[in-house]
Amino acid sequence: MTFDPFDQLAGLIQEWVLIPLLYEIGLMSWEDIAFGWALFAVYGAFQVAITFAVCVPLEKWRPVERWPDSKAVWVDVLYTVLTRVGVLPLFTFVLFYRAQVWVHGWIADWGLVPPTLERLVPALYGQPVLTFICYAIILDCAEYWRHRLSHMFRWWYALHSLHHAQRQMTFWSDDRNHVLDDMIAFVWFGVIALLIGVPPLQFPLLVLVLRFLESLSHANARVSFGWLGDRVLISPRFHRLHHGLRAAGRRSCNYGSVLPWWDMLFRTADFSPVYVGTGDPSGEEALATGTWSQQQMAGLRRFGRAIGVRA
Amino acid sequence: MRRLVACLLVCLLLGVSAAQAQGIAFVLNSAAASVSVIDMATLKEVRRIPSLREPHHLVLSPDRKSLMVGDTAGNEMMFLDPATGAVQKRIPMSDPYQFGYSPDAKFFVAAALARNQIDVYDGPTLKLLKRFEVKKTPSHLDYSPDSGTVYVSLQDSDSLIAIDLKALTVRWQKPVGKTPAGVIWHDGNVLVANMGTDYVSKIRPSDGAEVAKIVTGKGAHTIFRSPDTKVLWVNNRAGGTTVALDPATLTVTKRFVVSGGPDDIDFAPGGKLWITRRWAEKVAVLDPVTGVIEDVKVGRSPHGLWLNPGAPSPSAAVATR
Repeated sequence: MTFDPFDQLAGLIQEWVLIPLLYEIGLMSWEDIAFGWALFAVYGAFQVAITFAVCVPLEKWRPVERWPDSKAVWVDVLYTVLTRVGVLPLFTFVLFYRAQVWVHGWIADWGLVPPTLERLVPALYGQPVLTFICYAIILDCAEYWRHRLSHMFRWWYALHSLHHAQRQMTFWSDDRNHVLDDMIAFVWFGVIALLIGVPPLQFPLLVLVLRFLESLSHANARVSFGWLGDRVLISPRFHRLHHGLRAAGRRSCNYGSVLPWWDMLFRTADFSPVYVGTGDPSGEEALATGTWSQQQMAGLRRFGRAIGVRA
Repeated sequence: MRRLVACLLVCLLLGVSAAQAQGIAFVLNSAAASVSVIDMATLKEVRRIPSLREPHHLVLSPDRKSLMVGDTAGNEMMFLDPATGAVQKRIPMSDPYQFGYSPDAKFFVAAALARNQIDVYDGPTLKLLKRFEVKKTPSHLDYSPDSGTVYVSLQDSDSLIAIDLKALTVRWQKPVGKTPAGVIWHDGNVLVANMGTDYVSKIRPSDGAEVAKIVTGKGAHTIFRSPDTKVLWVNNRAGGTTVALDPATLTVTKRFVVSGGPDDIDFAPGGKLWITRRWAEKVAVLDPVTGVIEDVKVGRSPHGLWLNPGAPSPSAAVATR
């Protein structure tokens, strides 16, 4: 019931930019989707700004590594902007939303109740924040297994190795992924979300906090949350071990995104108090230092080789 | 003296009951999965009722005992007590976007916008009678006064469809303006607000022919009839205006700027219009005589709304809870 500056800004973008544009190009039926995109774009931009404001001083204050130049980082900046402000919101709204309405409507047609946590646990009705936290925990577990599986299959790691190729890992590196890897992740998330009825659009602020923590975990900073804190939330030190030189491919550890609980539960956690160098050298150099398109093509070539297709 | 005291007491009691019956407004926050409960006397939100996912429109049941809130992405119909907002029950229903009972209450028709379906239900039991797969994105609907036909706008195919409710067959589907939305039966014709244009189409119900275009403003979106039937109000989504039409001549008689994507309207007893402003998280309370607008803060993307001026003040209910 309080004033929300993000929503207000999204409303202004909708009114003064998107609606006039949609009206002129004859796409007024996209107005709801446009508003949803504006909301996520505003929250995404704010999240990038907050991450920047927190992580840049951290990385300057206690850097793990210093590099003579940081050219390779700029591609990661592009990945971040595309993912957080552009592509991700579009996927979320156009694909996931439509799929969810369709599948759940189809279930309702059979007289059955579409799955949601609230229906499974009626006490959650009217407890939106608690409900969201439950959803976030379940999705974090699903994300752990997606990530772990992406290291187990050769063809999948061929795509995921783009993420691991970065030797200059910073908070910008969270979103450096091959588009096919992103699409698999999207489908994975979508299927799980459909099964449990996730309402992500209702909690953009909480989504923002989770994404911030994911970015922070990639920061080039000597930061841990202490013995207990590292076991509650994933710290930069914990996640750096996952990106370590000797932890690429199937030998990796610390697969979690936000919560280290799954690594602890499934015995893949490594809490060693060290800050290791990053960058999987097993792929082409273009994966590490190429432009966005060069990285994507190199990932595709590696994927082709993994499934037996020669370029 | 005794007469004076009695008179004072009566006045006091009347005053108290009038104050208690200032009313309650329900506003559906479509992107916040909630229903805002507004005290009409203070224009303040007093609480929110959580819905499952995405409530868009609402309608009062024929017996006036339930306010039916359609949750599209949640695929359910939530029934609220219209006097208090207490949740009575929830039933699964496929994508209930915009819907309503026929005038004789024998049919309940729901436009399932995301699923490209028009569902015809038996009014009393809400049992599905027939599903019409249509192209595409059925948006808003209204009935002929004899309850024989329902007219539904098909947003993404720029057309209007007429469905015979007795035979449960499609009578016709005819082109209207671009991106049609709001539909209303008016004076022997069907009016359709075309959101991709600046006009309302006047459609002949017998064959679906467009017989007139009434220019109202960019993004003509919804049409509402005032309770005294003397005005038709049209909200223009892209132009950010609310205009009054003379119901006899269909000419624009007044125009008000209502920014933030004006959408649905309901009418307060004093003549004020309550208008949801989709991107402003507010409801505009417009005095059509003076043009003055007061804002009520609500949740994200407010869409459908309904006023119950006879209900007790929800603030008092909160205070006594």
